[in-house]
Amino acid sequence: MQTDGAIVAENLVKVYGGKVRAVDGVSFNVAPGEIFGFLGPNGAGKTTTVSMLSAGLRPTSGRAMVGGLEVSHHPEEVKRRIGVIFQESTADGDLTGRENLEVAAGTYGIARSEGRTRANALIAEMHLTDAADRYSKTYSGGMRRRLELAVGLVHQPKILFLDEPTLGLDPQGRAGFWGYVQKLRKETGMTVFVTTHYLDEADTMCDRIAIIDHGKIVAEGTPNELKDKIGGDVVTVKTAPGAPDMTEVIRPLAGVHTVQRQDDSYRIKCTSGETLVPLAVEACYRVGAGVTGVTVKRPSLDEVFLDFTGREYREEEGPSATDRAVMMQRVRGAIGGRR
Amino acid sequence: MLRELTALTRREFLKLARNPQAIFTSLLLPLLYLLLFGQGFNINPASFALPGTPPSVVQGIVLAYFRGAPNYYSYFAAGMVGFVAVTATLFIGANVIFDKLFGIFKRTRGTPAPSAAVFGSRLIAGAAQPILLAFFVLGLALLFAHVPGLTGLQITASIGVAGATYIVLAIVLLSLMFATVFLTIGILLDVPQVYFAVVNLINLPVLLTSDALYPWGSMPTWLRNASQFNPISLAVNVLRETFFGSSYYPYPPEIYLLGLFAWTAVLVSIAILLVRRALRPLE
Repeated sequence: MQTDGAIVAENLVKVYGGKVRAVDGVSFNVAPGEIFGFLGPNGAGKTTTVSMLSAGLRPTSGRAMVGGLEVSHHPEEVKRRIGVIFQESTADGDLTGRENLEVAAGTYGIARSEGRTRANALIAEMHLTDAADRYSKTYSGGMRRRLELAVGLVHQPKILFLDEPTLGLDPQGRAGFWGYVQKLRKETGMTVFVTTHYLDEADTMCDRIAIIDHGKIVAEGTPNELKDKIGGDVVTVKTAPGAPDMTEVIRPLAGVHTVQRQDDSYRIKCTSGETLVPLAVEACYRVGAGVTGVTVKRPSLDEVFLDFTGREYREEEGPSATDRAVMMQRVRGAIGGRR
Repeated sequence: MLRELTALTRREFLKLARNPQAIFTSLLLPLLYLLLFGQGFNINPASFALPGTPPSVVQGIVLAYFRGAPNYYSYFAAGMVGFVAVTATLFIGANVIFDKLFGIFKRTRGTPAPSAAVFGSRLIAGAAQPILLAFFVLGLALLFAHVPGLTGLQITASIGVAGATYIVLAIVLLSLMFATVFLTIGILLDVPQVYFAVVNLINLPVLLTSDALYPWGSMPTWLRNASQFNPISLAVNVLRETFFGSSYYPYPPEIYLLGLFAWTAVLVSIAILLVRRALRPLE
């Protein structure tokens, strides 16, 4: 394991209550200037890993190095070197955007005049000038996220942790947010560690990705490397209800790598979908199984996720996370921003 | 440390200033107590004296009943300072819990700001409220003396610089003490309902075992004895002795202040131990 990365995890383990192994021997190395995606279903250990890397949680065993420092030994210095954008909005609704930034600067020991200068620069950078002196509780979701990003950058960190940063944003807001992150990386060489709910974001924005499941990393590589690991296309054949099991009929066909049956559907990983479809359909009809649908997919990260975890990512992750964000917004509204 | 403390304290005062409803209700509660409760209970024990009792005897009864105060209202007004020290600090811990629920506390904990700055900022802002309210209460009680039909606070002793200092010290120590206790509970707990249950187990017994509200002459001996160790009583005794003279108090105000200081020192020390553990950099 290389130890010269911006973020290095070496056999990280976190056990809660002596029983639950939330993170079970996770290792990876994030190079300086890299955007590294960390994906996994609910309860996989993503947030626990991020907490251990960002000096919020002590590992049960293993080692986390961030910015060249061992996190357990130098938690406060690590906090000075990193920015963290949490999943939920942490801006203070009773304070204006500008005040949120000035207070955040103060918590890093930045002098008030310097804090004010940095706040003004970030407000302009994030296109929040018109709203800078409004209470942040009046901000839209996209504005809040941009304010969160500004707060996380006010002390000019070299490493940024983003925990589901675009949750609840519309496509335009997501694109805008990632535009800022990409710009930052280009201009400052910042290292970004991101957990995201949106696999398409991870696919297009991340240099490398790790997939965690049940506390263990099950796959790691660039998005293309991971897709290549699946091997070619994915064909799904749906047979009529009551049709016989087609698994052993499809498996010997030319170019087939694996066949997974889910009720009346067969998920077939193969070298070429176009070549396999007529063969598979013919094979089904030959043994008396009617075919009611066929799809061919180029591998996406959804397929990669399904392949390595055995679960659909969006079904696992989407509703609960979104519901939580919506609930928090409702609660905030109900109490009128009072903390 | 100072910059972090300043920034976080600024935040607390900004939030306070942006919450006019809370300011209004915090002023309304003592106003109602001073205007209704204090006036309503302003019984003159001399009115029970037999006809023909010499005025000096009657006056002696009143002074003994109210530990040197000329009437219940004056006695009660000093006690109200202890009352607001408890009630105005109740929400300090609840605000921490709400900040935890809304992620604001998480943001602060994610920064390198020392736990002393996190705790200190909330303590300063939290203690400032009862301190200001205490002077508001005393000012209002004095003002009532000039309102026709109302009884006001009558100060019968000469206060002087030392007395004024003692009053300020007593108010500051008592406010700091309660702010520390409730803030610590808020930092240790995560659920608002549990917080209020715990706080009610503290504030009512502490308030009701003090002599802040009961006339001294009507208190049973056991309650009088118990109340002498109560921090609210210690602070209120400093005020009453300064306002009405030392004749009815076994110790000088310095001793009561010392007792109050001891309470504050012990509770703040315990709080520091607990809070340092709860807010350590790595959980």
